[in-house]
Amino acid sequence: MPAPPADWGFPTPLEDVSRAIAIAGVGEADHTKASGRGPKEIAAQAIERALADAGLEAGDVDGLMYTPFDGQQFTAADFRAHFATTHEIWESTRGGGMVWAGSAPHEAALAIRAGRARTVLNVFSVAWATQRAEMMGGPGEVHAQELFKQNLEVPFGWFPQPVYFATIARRHMHEYGTTAAQLGAIAVACRRHANRTPTAVLHDKPLTLAQYLESPLLCDPFRKEDCCLISDGGGAYVMTSLERARDLRAPVIEVAGVGLGTSCTAAYWAQQGDITATPQVFAAPGGFRMAGLTPADVDVLACYDPFTIVSLMQIEDIGFCAKGEGGPFVEGTTLHFDGGRLPYNTHGGMLSHAYVLGIAHVVELVRQLRGEAAAQVPDARVAVYGGYTGPQASTLVLRRV
Amino acid sequence: VKFRDDFPLPDTDWPPTREFWAAAARGELSVPRCDACARFVWYPDGACRWCGGGALTWTRVAGRGSLFSWSVVRRAFIPQFAADVPYVTGLVALEEDPAVRLVTRIVDADPAALRVDMEVRVVFRPLRFPDLARSVVAPMFTPLPA
Repeated sequence: MPAPPADWGFPTPLEDVSRAIAIAGVGEADHTKASGRGPKEIAAQAIERALADAGLEAGDVDGLMYTPFDGQQFTAADFRAHFATTHEIWESTRGGGMVWAGSAPHEAALAIRAGRARTVLNVFSVAWATQRAEMMGGPGEVHAQELFKQNLEVPFGWFPQPVYFATIARRHMHEYGTTAAQLGAIAVACRRHANRTPTAVLHDKPLTLAQYLESPLLCDPFRKEDCCLISDGGGAYVMTSLERARDLRAPVIEVAGVGLGTSCTAAYWAQQGDITATPQVFAAPGGFRMAGLTPADVDVLACYDPFTIVSLMQIEDIGFCAKGEGGPFVEGTTLHFDGGRLPYNTHGGMLSHAYVLGIAHVVELVRQLRGEAAAQVPDARVAVYGGYTGPQASTLVLRRV
Repeated sequence: VKFRDDFPLPDTDWPPTREFWAAAARGELSVPRCDACARFVWYPDGACRWCGGGALTWTRVAGRGSLFSWSVVRRAFIPQFAADVPYVTGLVALEEDPAVRLVTRIVDADPAALRVDMEVRVVFRPLRFPDLARSVVAPMFTPLPA
């Protein structure tokens, strides 16, 4: 088998926005199993909490970012209706969760720098637990609608996402010797953090490595605990200029760097040149360069983690260890908040906190940098979010000023 | 969202992959090849992913490859596959160009005996689903005798 081509993806050069803006407020909606709530109702709750956290009023918000992908997100029109205002709001559909939870601050910084907005909210919510019956809503439906997948993947049962990533995990195991127990160490660390975090859906359910290894295979090499939850929930964060953030109530958490990388084969994982890597290899260098930092400076990491293997690959691809050494790296207590070398997904991540597609990861990192997290890493000063969609990855470097 | 009535069968009339399914119905495996650079192009998404050339010609290949990776699906994620579990689905890298990885089923094999990169050959089998009268012949793969 020839070596994978180095040009299977590329970095997107981003204008330097280091030290331009801060995240001045964070909020998360209630994270639950099926709740009967709709995504807009969930978003409104997250926004109200983020504004209260920042000490701002609805009338202060003059920028709103969300994703267009499911047509159910909270728009500027929804904002005006919910908060009974009529003011102008700059709107961008390059926000939301996943990769955009990490890249939205770049777009917001440009808008703030250009004077288009002073206070920008990024919001994301889902009600996929409520909607999951018969694939109406949820990650499977999005992919089943894509015509190449519908005609070349789904008919063979290579669907939905757990099957893709189980296939990728087996290849990673073959190439690098990664083991089930190493994937299990990631699931166990995340659950341990969720057990400390009252807002986590699996707050009350412990998980040991022995329990993980004894659990049945779902689509091997994956077990249920390798796969993320399906949840109702969401989050929001408020961005403003660094200068203005100093006058607000919360400690100043600056956006130090943003990186963005793209895979040439989009969401067709089957064809990705290096199938055991993520576009994080193209995103992370630019994010750290903009911040003037390196992975060695990171005190706490949160990655978009639909599956254990995606955590493992991003940890490698951001550069916390050499490619292929992620398995031995994550063994034991490496990822634990209390004394681990790389505290990881300290709220429990999408495996154990909630599947709200990364927005809660950024909320958690801001709380870590303020010293307000449930599973607090002592004196955390630099935090990184690894955003991911498959087609793209983002690297968001945050720093306590 | 409304899916086709015969989901999850492929739409054999969808132009980008029509020839793939027509070839399978004839017992052939066919993949588009770029007229300009001669590389195989998969998925057939309009232009050559290697050189950008716009002229692709469907080309019959031998039907040999290596098992790139797979999963044994033990629980049906959607009800249409409930009658199939456990089944083996995965990726086969084509002998003519291993950058082409076909999504497929692995059949006539003990899942415990599968090995990454083992040699496989194509067989043609119908895709059938409960409650659907139509079936579609599809290229699947089986290990070569050791």
